[in-house]
Amino acid sequence: MNLWAIGCSYRTTPVEIRERLAFTDEQLNQALRQLADSLGFEAVILSTCNRVEVYLAGGPPQPPDSLTDFLANFHGLNPQELRSYLYVHQGKAAVKHLFRVAASLDSLLIGEGQIAGQVKKSYERALAAGTTGPLLNLLFPHARQVARRVRTETGISQGHVSVSSAAVDYVREVFDHFGDKTVLVIGAGKMGELTLKHLKELRPGHILVTNRSPEKARQVAAGCRGEAIPWEKLDDALTQADIVLSTTGSPELIVSRDRYNRILARRTRGPMVILDIAVPRDFDPRIHDGDRTFLFNIDDLRIIRDKTLARRREHIGPAEAIVEQETSRFLKDWARRSNGPVIERLTQQFEARRREIVGNLLSRLNGKLDDADRQYIDKAFSLFQNQLLHGPISALSEESRSGGSGSHTLIEALRKLFRLHD
Amino acid sequence: MNRITVLCFMASYVLALLLELLQLWLGRFYLRVLALIAGFAGLIAQTLYLYSRRPPLVWQFGWMLFMAWILAIFYLCGAVQHRRFSWGVFVLPLLLGLLALGLALGTPPPEARGLVQAELVSTDRFWIALHIGLILLATVSVCIAFLASVMYLFQSHRLRTKTPPGEGLRLLSLERLEDMNRQAIILAFPLLTAGILAGMALMLQGNRAVSWMDLRVLSTNSLWLVFALLLYLRYGYHLRGRQIAFLTIVAFVVLLCCLALTHPLPHPDRPQQEGRQGEANCPTSASIGRDERT
Repeated sequence: MNLWAIGCSYRTTPVEIRERLAFTDEQLNQALRQLADSLGFEAVILSTCNRVEVYLAGGPPQPPDSLTDFLANFHGLNPQELRSYLYVHQGKAAVKHLFRVAASLDSLLIGEGQIAGQVKKSYERALAAGTTGPLLNLLFPHARQVARRVRTETGISQGHVSVSSAAVDYVREVFDHFGDKTVLVIGAGKMGELTLKHLKELRPGHILVTNRSPEKARQVAAGCRGEAIPWEKLDDALTQADIVLSTTGSPELIVSRDRYNRILARRTRGPMVILDIAVPRDFDPRIHDGDRTFLFNIDDLRIIRDKTLARRREHIGPAEAIVEQETSRFLKDWARRSNGPVIERLTQQFEARRREIVGNLLSRLNGKLDDADRQYIDKAFSLFQNQLLHGPISALSEESRSGGSGSHTLIEALRKLFRLHD
Repeated sequence: MNRITVLCFMASYVLALLLELLQLWLGRFYLRVLALIAGFAGLIAQTLYLYSRRPPLVWQFGWMLFMAWILAIFYLCGAVQHRRFSWGVFVLPLLLGLLALGLALGTPPPEARGLVQAELVSTDRFWIALHIGLILLATVSVCIAFLASVMYLFQSHRLRTKTPPGEGLRLLSLERLEDMNRQAIILAFPLLTAGILAGMALMLQGNRAVSWMDLRVLSTNSLWLVFALLLYLRYGYHLRGRQIAFLTIVAFVVLLCCLALTHPLPHPDRPQQEGRQGEANCPTSASIGRDERT
């Protein structure tokens, strides 16, 4: 199997190199066309923030140096420097690598679902550019199936691994419906934006935004279709809010225990969930009572992420087993497809030759043999033919299953040795 | 059908509970499906048992069996609706507890059959059936309110200790559990009130003497008072969350005491109780069954 996977990832390459190797949308089409036209390969390029990989199939069985030179030239890098960062997988290893990547077993956050979509998108782009062929057209859809199988048959995708989604999980443990809920956003930190984005997906009834800077409050409120309120009215807002997202850059506590108790005395609403993801913290941690107030700070949310990742790691073994199984299945399937025509022609040729020889022999011995003798001779020649072909066919099948490039050489040898013509 | 015993469906429910616990430990979904199948088998067996034996509701045994039967339906519906949550872990122990309590309080003699005494006149049969039906539904509602409260306290504890979502027991949100508790209490109170009123109507119709000191009357009225207090605290004082959950558990304990100590319905086979307590003040008294017999 003439298949190569060449690239770099967060495991082997610093971000400074990865970002220089990354392909923009325009560059992708251009690179795909060059790989297909100049080097004669089927090609798919997977370019994400954590990896850049080129999958090549068919074409001449070349060493990866030509591709390293291509990548270096394309991005204006030194080929020698680049070579030390690149990994190369060939044949079966390349198939397995793609399946592991698609199943998110090679990701920074194991089990994340984004990579399967990125693999699909890369393939679709290559398909649209016309740079895929029989092997990659079989390989990439199979990779999607592997990703789906791993996701559904193991718990590797369970739980949330981002702080913002973990925060929303906590909110869902307290509240059931959100149309009648008020979200209060305090501050305008970067992490707050992400969490607010997740909270907005719950479709809360009302969003209030407050900030020491009225201008920033208005900006954030405009972005989330909320209402900006003056910083001085924070206590009033806290009496109305059901979910509070605090992400200020304040060096000291904004809401002390005493201040909170005064707010609580004025509240008539149900429990309040406070997501204090500011560092240093904005709310006094002692206000968390697990009844009327549920306070979660950044460390609580990080603990969830760590525990989720630990739980996901427990599913790596079964997921790897699925990848291994699917790799074998793919190689068998590919061997059947690629060797099938050669084996069929070989068998047909031998069959025709055998019939001819047996026919001549029987006509020469005509009148001396009864039906049983004729059948015996016919069977003996069939057996001889099968035994003769068993060796080459088995060797070809084994070579194809191993995923090595030897199957290509063997097919060529068979064609020449037995004068097989298309 | 006659070979079905209480132990048959209790065993099915125990198996369902064990499978639910195993599912909690191993996290395999098929275990929950098996638990549902076991629970369903138990419900079928219990239905056949109730149909063939017709244990009288005047015995605590019959009462507990009917309560458990309604709870079994509640378990199956809830387990299908809330597949991702640890529903059976809470409902099944209560169901089994009621069955065990029924057995512990004594089974009726084999000749005692029929939900309501057949020898009563038709008008009384209607009022007694109404009385029984309303109070039975009220007690089931109390059981559901109790379950919602226990789940609320578990969930609240998980959040207080900041247990990561999805770890260990998976429960409905606090808001949903509080709603369930509230609705069950709101339903239980009028049912209980209407049940008591139906009993009073029956008693007045029979022109019977009223004894407010009858233990059954006292317990039924005290249960009504506990629920009235619970509603007052919920809506008058705006008590919420854990406090209301604790009070609901107290109300459930009062209900259990009422059911275990005495039975709110007439009991023709207990003359010693009638002799000790005298004539009852409502149709829940033992005298109804005796007086109406021809």
